[in-house]
Amino acid sequence: MSRIEAKKPSLCTNDPLTKERVSFSLSVLSGIVKSCYGPTGRLKQLHNGMGGYVRTTSQSSALLGGLSITHPVLKVLTASVQNHISRFSDCGLFTAILCCSLVEKFQRINFAACTVTKISRHLLSLCTDYLKSEACGCRILVDFDSIKTLLSLVRSILASKPACMLNKTEANHLSTLVLKAFLLTIPHTVETNVVLGKCVIVPVKDKRVMDSTVFPGLLIEIPEFQLARTFPVKRVSSSTIKMALFCISLSGDLSNIGEGTVIVHHGISLEVAVLDQLLNLGKQLVNDQVGLVVCQKVIHPSLKQYLKEHRVITIDRVGVSMMEPLSQMTGSQPIAALHSVSPTCYGSLKDLRTESFVSKHFLHLIPNDTLVCSLILCNRNEMAWDELKNACQTAEHVLQLTIKQPLALLGGGCTETHLASYIRHKSFTLPTSVLKTIDCSRTQYQLVADAFCRSLECVACCLAHDDGEILTDMVYGHFWSVQSGFPSDCNWSDLVLKCGCGIYNNQQNLNWTVLRSQCIPFAPQSCSNEPSINSTDHLVLDCFTAKCSGLQVAVETANLILDLSYIVEDQN
Amino acid sequence: MAFRNVNRRRHIGLQQLSSLASIGRTLLGPVKSYKFIVDESTSESVLTCSAVRLLESLDLTSAVGQLLNETIQAQNKEYKTGMTTLLFLVGAWSSAVLECLQQNVPFSLIVSVMSEGLNSCSEKVQCLQLSVHDLYKGPDSVPIHFSSSSLGPQIIENKTPGIGANSFLNPLLHILKEVPVSKEESVPEGLHSHQASPCDPHNRCLNSHLCPTDYITPSLVEPVGNKTMPAVPGSSLIVSSYIKRTRLTHSRYFNTPGKKHCSLQVDNFGGPPTGPAACPYEFNDLGQLPMALSHGNQSSMKLVQDIVRCQQQVADHTGSSQFNIAEVVTCCLPGLSEHYSCVCPGYITLVSPEKATVTKQLQDRPLQILLVDGDLTEKYRHLGFNRPSNVRTISENVGLQESSSESLWINCVLDILIQAKVNLILVKGNVCESLMERCILNNILIINPVTLNVLHAFGKGTGVQLVTYLSQVNSYCVGSSVWVDFWRTGDLSTMELDNKVPIGIKAEGIHLVTAVLSSTVTSKMQVTEDQFWTCAYRLHHALTDQKVFPGGGAVELLCLSHLKKLEEQSLKQPDKKPSGDFYMSSCWLTKSLTQYKPVVLKALASGWHQYLSRVMCNTAHYASEFEASASIEHHLKKAADCGSPSAYILKEFNKGDKVMVDFGLSTKPEEAVKIYDNVTPKMEAWRRALDLVLLVLQTDAEIITGPKRNQLLNSHVSSEFIFL
Repeated sequence: MSRIEAKKPSLCTNDPLTKERVSFSLSVLSGIVKSCYGPTGRLKQLHNGMGGYVRTTSQSSALLGGLSITHPVLKVLTASVQNHISRFSDCGLFTAILCCSLVEKFQRINFAACTVTKISRHLLSLCTDYLKSEACGCRILVDFDSIKTLLSLVRSILASKPACMLNKTEANHLSTLVLKAFLLTIPHTVETNVVLGKCVIVPVKDKRVMDSTVFPGLLIEIPEFQLARTFPVKRVSSSTIKMALFCISLSGDLSNIGEGTVIVHHGISLEVAVLDQLLNLGKQLVNDQVGLVVCQKVIHPSLKQYLKEHRVITIDRVGVSMMEPLSQMTGSQPIAALHSVSPTCYGSLKDLRTESFVSKHFLHLIPNDTLVCSLILCNRNEMAWDELKNACQTAEHVLQLTIKQPLALLGGGCTETHLASYIRHKSFTLPTSVLKTIDCSRTQYQLVADAFCRSLECVACCLAHDDGEILTDMVYGHFWSVQSGFPSDCNWSDLVLKCGCGIYNNQQNLNWTVLRSQCIPFAPQSCSNEPSINSTDHLVLDCFTAKCSGLQVAVETANLILDLSYIVEDQN
Repeated sequence: MAFRNVNRRRHIGLQQLSSLASIGRTLLGPVKSYKFIVDESTSESVLTCSAVRLLESLDLTSAVGQLLNETIQAQNKEYKTGMTTLLFLVGAWSSAVLECLQQNVPFSLIVSVMSEGLNSCSEKVQCLQLSVHDLYKGPDSVPIHFSSSSLGPQIIENKTPGIGANSFLNPLLHILKEVPVSKEESVPEGLHSHQASPCDPHNRCLNSHLCPTDYITPSLVEPVGNKTMPAVPGSSLIVSSYIKRTRLTHSRYFNTPGKKHCSLQVDNFGGPPTGPAACPYEFNDLGQLPMALSHGNQSSMKLVQDIVRCQQQVADHTGSSQFNIAEVVTCCLPGLSEHYSCVCPGYITLVSPEKATVTKQLQDRPLQILLVDGDLTEKYRHLGFNRPSNVRTISENVGLQESSSESLWINCVLDILIQAKVNLILVKGNVCESLMERCILNNILIINPVTLNVLHAFGKGTGVQLVTYLSQVNSYCVGSSVWVDFWRTGDLSTMELDNKVPIGIKAEGIHLVTAVLSSTVTSKMQVTEDQFWTCAYRLHHALTDQKVFPGGGAVELLCLSHLKKLEEQSLKQPDKKPSGDFYMSSCWLTKSLTQYKPVVLKALASGWHQYLSRVMCNTAHYASEFEASASIEHHLKKAADCGSPSAYILKEFNKGDKVMVDFGLSTKPEEAVKIYDNVTPKMEAWRRALDLVLLVLQTDAEIITGPKRNQLLNSHVSSEFIFL
């Protein structure tokens, strides 16, 4: 008997942004992301309060993934930020903070949503055009001839994740390793289609960070006792070991029976039948002179025993994440059948060795062409390791993006303040014809532009968590932090030391002013012909592609949220 | 989702951390106060004196408590030592950081100065490291516990173990093994002298019972009486077997059931060792090192020393490392006096009386062994095997019943075992009850559960492969020359404990050593076992690091003096450009560094200062922490006056005066042993402690997700949270 229940009517809320609950939730979320930003950002403990795993983090991916957000408006925001993270890995917090701040500031202007949207779109296009133009004053060319800029880029990413618990030496060591691993994935000969290799992160927890290292080829952890028994390897020639890669389970079960019932007569054992098939497969592998069998899933102990007796090394349970690099590295086709294995599926290895490393044991698969490398990543505990792994993956992704577009933006808040000065200057000198096409007044345009610039500056200010005051200079529009409560009559150049990105120091008289104070708009100068770019070791740099996309996502999402006039919720 | 701000002026997280860590204060140093943890709901209690067990037993539901527990467990997993230091420093540093916060020191500055300060100290103390090599190659490397015994271990170890150990490796032996045992006459007479292994401690358990009347018990008692250290039978193990050398025994390899009590002549062993045994055997003694690392647990460390000796005798022929901690297991005999603690080669375990009966049948003859790394049940399948749910078996034969499948399986298994002539099976997992009964009836001994490292040790020793299913059994999987016997105490009596009997299993060439641990107080058993492992790992780390620190607070004292110097430097040169050591992310922080640096360095120093004075108080040499503190200040001043603090500290350490902390607890000065500390575990404990404190310091909010949210919403603390 089925029960019929009347459907509940849908719940409709108009003007959701004006509701107190929404603006409160938005301000809490904005508070959370703002306090996490930058190298001195505060950490958050994410847990279920019932003895579950405590994740201490300040990274947007872990943070937004861990929050359980129910309100649709907040969901729109987090979903678009998470989408950005999944595509670019970096600049998630930047996007979230900018978006929150734009929503907040645009709301305060209280114009019709469409006007704000139109103006902010125009402002966004001004920004992206500027960033992509040669004249852009806050970007630098990444020189692949020296590792200095690349290293700065990686170091800036690792340093902005305080929960990794790295000290300076460790951060430098890891930056070098990440860069080294990345360089190992670049092909030696460049053809028309460049395919980068893979860097596989091998987890080694509870060890010192300084024990981390990079190996060309693949490392697969094996138990110690297996170590003594795996050799000598069966080779086809002195530098070729034939290898078979299986992506199906060789455990001898009948997991792929399909639906319906199989009826078996008494005395017939399906298990034995499957095992016979497995052993036949083993025979074929031995006949084909395979020296190494790798299986994504489990290999039946009897098959393992058979192969071992014929001097074939077996590795099982390597996991799905290893399959792609394995197949790419050895040229083997993952085999998905128990019978009629085609010899063309086999791959080859140059050599197979064992490595013992920080009391763990690994089989080292050495390919003919080393486009795959293993980064053995150590950190002192599970939580710090998770955080570090994320940071390293982000850094690797950023390097990949940078090789496609060899540009980097100045970090440490300088890009934001510089961009804000540029937009402010542009909005004052905007030709009337443009205003006409947007269909708004100059005042309207300037009010929205001001809110836009303030939002950008707000992101920069979030870098300071220790009650400092932020200054900007009137020449380059960079970011300078000073101790708060300074006397009003003092000389600025005594207070400042270096700008956020590290290009300029207090030597030059740069005519500082307090950020967010009213000042005359000026066209910020470019840093690109600055000699210190190449001489300074510790520049703070951001990923160009990720930040540009972050800017776009933040503005578009803010526009979308402002444009929401109804929320319709299905209550069934 | 619930959200709580934990970062007001008085940092809640740090307060929690500091109060949680304070429970471990009395566990510091060699003199520990035991703690009883009582569960009020069940009235169950746990006796503990280690930081790991203490935190394990506590109900730590708060996020900070969990982080603390995870940190301690991670240190335990990796090093098995240094956890109490870690716990104490977490407490001391978190309260020191709280004080910094009260003085309005910016967060980032605390983080930066403290972590770079620790880095600087870690580099500084490297100059105190002593090479392990120098320590046991030194002139005074005679083991102290044999000081009054005429039977110095050097004598024994230089002459005798070669005979026994060589017999295992004699290539002839392997050929002869294949010869049916009844043909004893065919064995050349001269071989006996080589194969016999009278003084090999490996044989002690097995040989001792063969000639019970000849076994001289006083050898056990005599050295014990002379020793000033607490008597441990384990340490006289070698001594007793040495005395037995002049007695007789026979080679078990040519032993037939009918002639088993026919012993060989004494004369075979009277002369100087011949053949393979004649080559000089150099025993690499670790000298003072083990005892210096015992930190008050001499009895446990003696067992570790004996293990090293046992392993070295085998290792000398195989070339493996001198102390392999992976091939050490423990067997706990609760309720037995501590005097029964000893070290036995092979695997010692407790079995039921039925199995003991089988053991009686099987002793004195070489057995065939099978190693199973799964369960021995019909339904067991290896990991990763998924049972299909949609297979139905139908039968045309009405007579067959479903229940018979298990008995069919048992019959099949027994057939395999009997055909392969297996007498002994070591199983990792469970064993089907009825199979066990049938095996007992067939005189097949099954031991389970056995840990994987034991299985592999037997696999390595006998050269056989482990199997998961008995259907895999072939000639490569059955090992021979394995022996089983009852474990016997010094006076040769067998034991029965709580209806369980300890037995020993040995195989030729096996490196596995069992530390038999006993404790009269059953609740102290866990503590005894933990202490044994701590000692074993301390030695293990010293040998892997190949270096140690001078102990007794020397390292901490140098840190204090180094920090003082850094502090004075920063006060003297306030205008100095910030050094590379203290890199600041925010620039104005670099400017205000000079203002706050002394405060933060003082906070860092206070951790070690508290640590030292607490240890000094706990050892009862100082009446109060104040007195201890005054003594530390005195030494710091002298070190500063001396010009080179590290030289001063090393000089004081070498003088042997217990200037700092006396871990040794010896009453007579001539027995004073130097105290050493591990290098890596100590440095890691510091780093992990500081990392945890700084991690909690930088945390400003707790985000609670999941069903707990609704509980919090209705609880009295709901005002602290923001609910989204």
